[in-house]
Amino acid sequence: MVIVDATQLIVPQIIKQAVDTLDKGSFDSDILFFQCGYILFLGLVMAVLRYGWRNLLMGSARDLENGIRDEIFNHILTLDMAYYNRTKTGDIMAHATSDINHVRMAFGFGLIAIVDTLLLGGATLGIMIWTHPSLTALAMIPMPFLVMTTRNLGKKMHTLHKTAQESFSKLTELVRESFFGIRIIKVYNFESIIMNKIEKASKDYFNKNLKRAFVNALLKPLLILFFNLSTLIILFYGGFLVMQEALTPGELVAFLQYLGILAWPVIAIGWMTNLFQRGLASLNRINTLLDSRPEVASPAHPAVLSDLSGRITFKDVSFAYGKDNPVLSDIMLAVEPGMSIGITGPPGSGKTSLVQLIPRLYNTISGKIFLDGHELESLDLNFLRQHIAFMPQESFLFSSTIRDNILMGRSVNEERLDRIIDACCLKETLEKMPEGLDTVVGERGVTLSGGQKQRIALARTLVNEKPIVILDDPVSQVDTHTAAKLIAAIHQMNAGSSFIIISHRISALASCDRIYILKNGRVDHFGSHQELIETSRFYGESFKVQQFEEEKNA
Amino acid sequence: MPETSISMEEKEIKLADLYLAKTLWPFIRPYAFLLGLTTLLVFIVTFFELLMPILTQKAFDGFILPVGPEKGAHLFGFEIISFSSFCILFSAVVLVSFVIDFFQSLLMEYTGQTIILNLRCRLFSHMAFLPVAFYDKNSSGRLVSRVAGDIENMNEMFTNVLIFIFRDLFLMIGVLVILFSINIKLALYLTAMVPVIAISITVFSKILRKAFRTIRQKLSEINHSFSEAVTGIKIIQTTSSRDRFMEKFKFLNFEYFSASLFQIRIFSIFMPFIGFMGVLSVAIILWTGSFNVMDKSLTLGELVAFLSYMKLFFRPLRDLSETFNLLQNALASAERIINVFKQDKAKQRALVLRERIDKISHLSLDKVNFSYSEDKPVLKNISFHLPPNRSIGLVGRTGSGKSSIINLITGFYEPGSGTIAFNDIDQKSINIEDIRKRTALVMQDPVLFSGTIRENITPSGLDMDPARLEKALYDANCDFLFEKFSGLDTKIEEEGRPLSSGEKQLVCIARAFAFDPDLIIFDEATSYMDSNSEQKVHDAMKKLMKGRLSIIIAHRLSTVRDCDSILLLRDGSIREQGSHHELVELKGEYYHLLEKEKI
Repeated sequence: MVIVDATQLIVPQIIKQAVDTLDKGSFDSDILFFQCGYILFLGLVMAVLRYGWRNLLMGSARDLENGIRDEIFNHILTLDMAYYNRTKTGDIMAHATSDINHVRMAFGFGLIAIVDTLLLGGATLGIMIWTHPSLTALAMIPMPFLVMTTRNLGKKMHTLHKTAQESFSKLTELVRESFFGIRIIKVYNFESIIMNKIEKASKDYFNKNLKRAFVNALLKPLLILFFNLSTLIILFYGGFLVMQEALTPGELVAFLQYLGILAWPVIAIGWMTNLFQRGLASLNRINTLLDSRPEVASPAHPAVLSDLSGRITFKDVSFAYGKDNPVLSDIMLAVEPGMSIGITGPPGSGKTSLVQLIPRLYNTISGKIFLDGHELESLDLNFLRQHIAFMPQESFLFSSTIRDNILMGRSVNEERLDRIIDACCLKETLEKMPEGLDTVVGERGVTLSGGQKQRIALARTLVNEKPIVILDDPVSQVDTHTAAKLIAAIHQMNAGSSFIIISHRISALASCDRIYILKNGRVDHFGSHQELIETSRFYGESFKVQQFEEEKNA
Repeated sequence: MPETSISMEEKEIKLADLYLAKTLWPFIRPYAFLLGLTTLLVFIVTFFELLMPILTQKAFDGFILPVGPEKGAHLFGFEIISFSSFCILFSAVVLVSFVIDFFQSLLMEYTGQTIILNLRCRLFSHMAFLPVAFYDKNSSGRLVSRVAGDIENMNEMFTNVLIFIFRDLFLMIGVLVILFSINIKLALYLTAMVPVIAISITVFSKILRKAFRTIRQKLSEINHSFSEAVTGIKIIQTTSSRDRFMEKFKFLNFEYFSASLFQIRIFSIFMPFIGFMGVLSVAIILWTGSFNVMDKSLTLGELVAFLSYMKLFFRPLRDLSETFNLLQNALASAERIINVFKQDKAKQRALVLRERIDKISHLSLDKVNFSYSEDKPVLKNISFHLPPNRSIGLVGRTGSGKSSIINLITGFYEPGSGTIAFNDIDQKSINIEDIRKRTALVMQDPVLFSGTIRENITPSGLDMDPARLEKALYDANCDFLFEKFSGLDTKIEEEGRPLSSGEKQLVCIARAFAFDPDLIIFDEATSYMDSNSEQKVHDAMKKLMKGRLSIIIAHRLSTVRDCDSILLLRDGSIREQGSHHELVELKGEYYHLLEKEKI
């Protein structure tokens, strides 16, 4: 790149010589031939080198982009649920796309611009000073103004860029949720309402963009103005000097040529300001994301355990998602190895929150959870999660094959896989699929019913035998008959494990050794099925309702 | 995993340029005046830009190195004698060009943004009316990237690209004209290069477009990976499959990286190539020009001017190729957007025969067949009648076709054969909006939008008197909503936080209640609830069902036992039909299911 800039500076020198020769009236075709050949040669060298550095610089910028994106992806996979509750999906996605893009632009084009500006600009200036110091000094009068204005405008651009980007984020999120809920929108005729919302968000983005555009529109013409002022000075003062014969006309021509070369670095300054402001703003955002440490992390010196027996103890555990609204208060709970526990309660009573604390998806606010007598936070996170089979409430499928969705990269022999499929009542479902286990499902595959999704998610949970099995409402979307079969099979497959199940179906809970009833984040009652029918109004009523239905059905 | 992930990728979209231009034109036309004005301003700016070297030349030939015995310059017929007045003129030109340049830039940005704003709103409103089948086929994440990312990408096209292509072409033509006026012979040498450049631009742009298509498509895949990882994070973390996801992502990211490297390589051949062409012509002109100066057919000032104009000729050419890069990128996005516009909106059926329906009083299906894809029938010969004020329950295993019936009644899909009639009028001759206006749907997965709970129950625009709203909530047994969090003004975040799954469903049910429909459809709406809440909702449902039509899909038989009629579906056909007692008497499949449900 240095060489390219150097050669670019030599060309005007040759032209200067040629012009000066012509001016003197002496003419030698050999010299001219040599000069033209030289120019051509330099042009070729420039072309080859330009190819080289473009490739190198932009390539390494892309390399950087590639690396940052990998790192972000890797990082977000380690973040805890609390982070995800605070942050919108659209925002994380924006980090991985537009922000990285801005950083890349700053480092690719931006670096080119910097190097070009410094080298080319510096060298040109050097030659100009060397040719005629006072003329150069005069020509540089507008420069301090130029630097000042670009800096001011750059700062403004930075803030305007940030607000525009935020507005864009909001717009993206709005569009996303509209597409997600398209059926509801259509049935309730919300189309016009949602369109108004989108229009409003688009207008907001439009307005913020216009503000940014205003500054942008000011920048380039201003730079050109300053540049033209320099040309003016050179031409007139230089012209004056030539008239006084203090300067050869060739020198003046070369001077103007050099100024022409300076035009690019000057324009580049404006461009660079924009790029770097955007790049820096984005780099800041990315760094904030990468610096966010999950609150849930492995301790520096985890307790060394070879295996877990599955004893779980909650001691005065309280939990909340935000500062206010406690979700769980003073929970006491004990699970002996191999015991089965049922959890039920009205919506919003904290059931899901409670079981999510065991694989440490969240940390407790106060109180302690022990696993085999070890405090949860003293265990290695990977170790902990590898010993827990956890099924979240929402059955989410990745867009991949059913096999992938069940195995999740774990290996298991065909025999066990068959057993799992059998246990989850998936056999019939799979036979109807075009490609059986290798049917692609999820967002871009076959659309499955809620019950089918739930059973695949259940199969995913049961792949390996684990000392602790936690199922969050595993049968809410399947029919009663299938639910009964599933529950029996799950129990059979996890005979020795500690077992925790959340359900609203008394029939799914009845066989548990102990059942906890949560209400407003507290344990309202606990006991066996028989005991609770007597002691808990909630349980008793639920049971009666469900019992009554069965009797009526009979 | 690579093989499968490739096969699942979004298809690259490819359209002809002419077709693109034709489809985009209607979006540009309303702003043609603004665009024209901007282009005019660009021309003026360009004119000033071209004026600079002329003025420089005049300064040389007129004052600094006077050709004749007299000093002075001729400019547009005016005679300027003094050097200082020439200076003032020059300064004025510089200032005026600054002002115009600024207004031009501003106007250009304004025009571009306006077009984009309009395009985005039009695209979204088009998408809002696309049939549900379109959304079933395309993942929401990828559709978002059309409305957000791709449109953003096209912004470049309307601001920088379109206008600058005009300007650069104009500039080059202008420069050529001037070059010809200075010296025809020298200019002819230069013109010889034009075809070479034109051909190389076409070739390069083809390769570039292809590269950008791959890049945009890979980028959309990356977006998809991110959104999937975020949504499925609980599963990824609890199944310890982080490394596997990372590996897959790295592979995808690397593909994107390779695609962009390819684009860079192509472009880095192109740019220096154009640069070299510039140097080549300088050498040629200098060579021939020097001979001309020697035999006095050319003044030295003219040669200098010629050389500086040539710079002006090659700079736009370089800009042009840079803009071409942007253009190819924007066009790759335009292709993706136009592909959405090409999707037909949900049919406005039977425009002529359309009949108005103010109230749905009864509903019937007659020999309805339906399938999502050719070979797999989902519904076979479904017939039933729902008389006024009655309820019907649909039961059957998952995949038996219950939800498909709902998809047909709400007009999300059209039946393959057979008729669906409301008040004895064929659905085909009714405006589907009329039906939907009178229908409420509560789905298995609760759908809530960001905003307050109040906005979710009665979206702005459908203002509801607070007393009525309150009554609707009490009727729906959803009065708990008044006490929790900040009541009805609780802000709903992504995924319905802070409500629990059960509470979300209750809000959705309250929305249906507030809607006061003629036809109410519950699609396994109570699956997230405990028996107590479900009982509450059932009480409320009974209240609401009075004087309305209702269809209830359930997997628990107890949910539908009170329906006037129950349909038992299996493999898309009606197996049994009748009231609870009739079906029990029958001792058929329903009876068996009932028996199994008891543990």
